[in-house]
Amino acid sequence: MSAGALSLKNVAVPGRLHALSLEFAAGKMVGLVGPNGSGKSTLLSVAAGLLPPAAGGEVCWSGERLAGIPAIERGRRAAWVPQEARFEFGFSVRAVVGQGRYAHGDDTAGVAEALARFDLERIAERPVNRLSGGERHRVLLARAWATGAGLQLWDEPLAALDPRHGLETLMLGRELTRGGRTLVFSLHDLRVAHCLDEVVVLHEGRLRAAGAPEAVLTPELLREVFGVTARVEPGLTLFL
Amino acid sequence: MISAAALAGLAAVSLASGDVALSPEQLVAGLLRRDELAATIVWQIRLPRLLVAMLVGAALSASGLVMQAYFRNSLASPGLLGVSAGGAAGAVVAIGFGWVGFSLLTVPLMAVAGALVATGAVLMLARRGASTERLLLAGVALNALLGAVTSYVLSAHTTTYERTAQVLFWLLGGLEDRTWEHVVMAVPILLAGALLLPLGRPMDLLSLGAEEAQSLGVDVRRVRRWLLGLSTVLTALATAAAGTVGFVGLIVPHILRLLVGPEHRRLVPLSLVAGAAFVVGCDLLGRSAGGLRLGIVTALVGGPFFLWLLRREER
Repeated sequence: MSAGALSLKNVAVPGRLHALSLEFAAGKMVGLVGPNGSGKSTLLSVAAGLLPPAAGGEVCWSGERLAGIPAIERGRRAAWVPQEARFEFGFSVRAVVGQGRYAHGDDTAGVAEALARFDLERIAERPVNRLSGGERHRVLLARAWATGAGLQLWDEPLAALDPRHGLETLMLGRELTRGGRTLVFSLHDLRVAHCLDEVVVLHEGRLRAAGAPEAVLTPELLREVFGVTARVEPGLTLFL
Repeated sequence: MISAAALAGLAAVSLASGDVALSPEQLVAGLLRRDELAATIVWQIRLPRLLVAMLVGAALSASGLVMQAYFRNSLASPGLLGVSAGGAAGAVVAIGFGWVGFSLLTVPLMAVAGALVATGAVLMLARRGASTERLLLAGVALNALLGAVTSYVLSAHTTTYERTAQVLFWLLGGLEDRTWEHVVMAVPILLAGALLLPLGRPMDLLSLGAEEAQSLGVDVRRVRRWLLGLSTVLTALATAAAGTVGFVGLIVPHILRLLVGPEHRRLVPLSLVAGAAFVVGCDLLGRSAGGLRLGIVTALVGGPFFLWLLRREER
């Protein structure tokens, strides 16, 4: 059996995702692109085990069927970051990041490092329900980092972040994959596509294309999927 | 620590005060059965009442805390799901149809049955979908339905003054004439409270979102089932022992969260102790104000305080 970090076989969700099969190798940084409503979040939820695929579909983590992995172990092996970060209660930033350690039975290991990595030390004791949208997102990313999970599934991690924190997050993602972890995340800003190892294009709930960014993101595909005309030439590029 | 000390202090004052005030020496003598009159007052009247007050307070407060984490809404309360209304309807039906004569336990058992039926109905409605909105709407509908049942029984079947008085007892909530039987009936509250203690951390995660909790390793279905089951039993037992007492489950967890923060590992044990102290305090207040019913006192104390909290939070 192939031991790709994440494999989806014949996975479908009625009304949202047509049957598709995908294989994600360990150590890759993969971008999930597609117009609004194309099924990116659904795909990530299914991959994270939060949404069961329709009968006949199967999700595997490192070659192991997800259905056979107990809840607590899932928390150690994969981390999922939701698109929306809403908090009803005023837990401190540090406490929320510490929740990433739930499946390990502690709430401190690696938390200080995660806070530092996502630039949260300054606001570590602030209540999360008083933070800005971007700050809340960084809290969730830091929590995912603190899990130490080998499979990281982030739903639009960059959308709410300012340019600096966006770039930093991409670099942190690359650090994760260099360490052998796998990162799959959805994004809209195609200008960062050149940082990715692979791109998966979804359109109207169907898998449209997958592969290296320069091979997949052709002007023809961009016009067909997004309805935009692309000029492939160096434009504005930001560096840290 | 502070709330435990407050509880102990309030308990002592509660035992000592009443129609016949007892000095500290008399109270000790009564507890040790060295003074016959004091012993009768303490052991037959005040101690059962105090214990029921403590158990009811602990149950309602913990139940409210659980529901707030469950629904991710700090304004949720045991009354929300219709569980309290179910308990009251069960009790009122038992009284209205004159089943009280069979056994002293008929009314409390019917209260428990009513609460369980209400929760069962909510769970059935929620099984397909199980979203929070669905549960809340089911609670609203059940509250209306059970309220109608109660009103019907009240208007059609409470023909005697005695029955009307009994029904009113359940609807207003009170601690009058509580006996050791009521204490025994409410003792399982301790067990349910103990079962809640290890659920503090999963409650933290759940209170920030079910999907997120699941992704972090919480067995959400199992934990939710336990939480809903335990909070139902807690509310049912409290309703059985003292009728419907409002605001405790809303106010106590809210105050505690303001004082010590939102972490349930601390809030769960604290809510049990502070809830007990709150109800003992309210009962004491009601008794010293000339015998106001517990349910009236908690509403009088709780309502304005809660409104003040809301205004403070808005700023």
